[in-house]
Amino acid sequence: MNISVELQTIAELHIKGLIGGEIDAFTAPILREKLAEVTLQDNIHVELNLQDVSYMDSTGLGVFVGFYKSVIAANGHMELTGLSSRLKRLFDITGLVEIMDIQARDEEVKIDETV
Amino acid sequence: MPQEFKRQYREILEQYTQRQTEHNLYEGQNFSRQLIQKNISPEEVISIHKASLEELMPELPNNVWHSFDLLIEVMIRYGLALKEHQTLIKKQENFRMEMELASNVQQTLLKTKVPEMNSLDIGMISVPAKEMNGDYTHFLNDDTTVGIAVADVIGKGIPAALCMSMIKYGMDSLNGAETEPIVVLDVINRIVEKSVSDSMFISMFYGTYDTSTSVFTYASAGHEPPLFYCAKSNSFSELQAKGLLLGVIPNVKYEQHSISLGKDDFVVMMTDGVTECRSKEGFIDQKTVMDIIESVRDQSAQDMVEYVFHKLEELQEFEQRDDFTLVIFKKK
Amino acid sequence: MNLRSSVDIITEWDIVAARQLGRNEAKDVGFGTVDQARITTAISELARNIYLYAGKGKIEIRQITDGNLKGLLVIASDKGPGIADVRKVMEDGYTTSGGLGAGLPGVKRLMDDFKIETVLGEGTTISASKLLR
Repeated sequence: MNISVELQTIAELHIKGLIGGEIDAFTAPILREKLAEVTLQDNIHVELNLQDVSYMDSTGLGVFVGFYKSVIAANGHMELTGLSSRLKRLFDITGLVEIMDIQARDEEVKIDETV
Repeated sequence: MPQEFKRQYREILEQYTQRQTEHNLYEGQNFSRQLIQKNISPEEVISIHKASLEELMPELPNNVWHSFDLLIEVMIRYGLALKEHQTLIKKQENFRMEMELASNVQQTLLKTKVPEMNSLDIGMISVPAKEMNGDYTHFLNDDTTVGIAVADVIGKGIPAALCMSMIKYGMDSLNGAETEPIVVLDVINRIVEKSVSDSMFISMFYGTYDTSTSVFTYASAGHEPPLFYCAKSNSFSELQAKGLLLGVIPNVKYEQHSISLGKDDFVVMMTDGVTECRSKEGFIDQKTVMDIIESVRDQSAQDMVEYVFHKLEELQEFEQRDDFTLVIFKKK
Repeated sequence: MNLRSSVDIITEWDIVAARQLGRNEAKDVGFGTVDQARITTAISELARNIYLYAGKGKIEIRQITDGNLKGLLVIASDKGPGIADVRKVMEDGYTTSGGLGAGLPGVKRLMDDFKIETVLGEGTTISASKLLR
């Protein structure tokens, strides 16, 4: 049961977050609360780096979808970066990769679009 | 009643003040059990103590007597906290019983019968991690066609269970087994999108198997891809189909694919409770799951799903973290 | 016999004055130490609620009789915001000090009889009584 969430405002309307640890049913509420602290102004850009996330289940996915919806509602943009291949697979399977801005880790940036 | 307690307590106190034996203390401890059972509050106990002392040692100075009044005042809140605690425990017990009831209602409501088909062997297992199952399986069938829905509500417990009833009524509104998979997903997506909160989503796989043509047609709304086992080549492949989770946006284009099944070929449909299994050493990878399935490929579909469940349960050292559902369609 | 007296609650110190009045009356009626402490704790709680949520109000104490029994009636009244959901505030574990046995459920437990009248925007009157048995 460990998760770390660090949010940083690096410029006006640009927030960077570094998330690490495990995101499951126990830690997802912590992540949700942390993300809720972000003031969603018009045109906000939120970049969340998941490079240190070792595990995530569907509950975690729910948190990101919820957050994505509220960012979109504020005319903002959400970006997820540094996903491991395992995490990336979750976003692929769920079809979320089609609507969200998702970048895998450098070694795996090629997004497989073949059917 | 308090009179009787006063008498008993006075006796214990008198004995103890004279002898100070462990036996006296033990009696005191047993006495406290009675007090709690009879709901005697802490402030009352102090008042009993004070009254007993007044009889046993009336010569004590006044300031000692006053000190008891302060102690009584201090203990009043402990008494209140205790009573509140007791009612909260009772409430909790009620909640637990209601949960159990709700889980029974859910099981009855969502019960689905595994159909008997001439040329298709079907096996199904669905085991919840907690009281309420967040996985949902539903069969629709007529003489030649069988439809199968496997869904997983993101989130567990009561909210997930309530959400599932919605899928059930959506499914009931369809026109039987021959409805095309993409139509099924579209209908359910509209229902879910309208009625579900922002952080609740459902992944769902829907497939229909036509026994007259041996063709399996399927579509997926962000669900774990099923595995297809080809007997001729003795190999597994994933049945990919693009499509977004249910309930995120109202209009989604789902892909529909078909595959033809030969003798002894089978399709394994599952929820992420199967693929996200974790053992002490880490994730149980897809290869392991495939190997387990392959090792029992000659058994009946029902024996297969049960074997896979028990095997994975064993690998996880019997700690089931997520709802687990596995369905196998095997061509006879 | 209908003796009455009251204390205005404006500052935190008035809570002590209300307790003192309640204790004197309780002694006068003949309540024992434990019941005196219970009644004053109830008064404390009611006075504190007035002080915290309504700003100001009044605690009134009356000696009462019910058949052969003597007793004490405490009336706490204020012209504060009123209580939106009475059922909620009467629920165990609801108050911010939940689990500490305080709040109105505590007052109800300490006394024999408990009544609450409240109108949103107009104020609240709580009467609680205890008989000497």
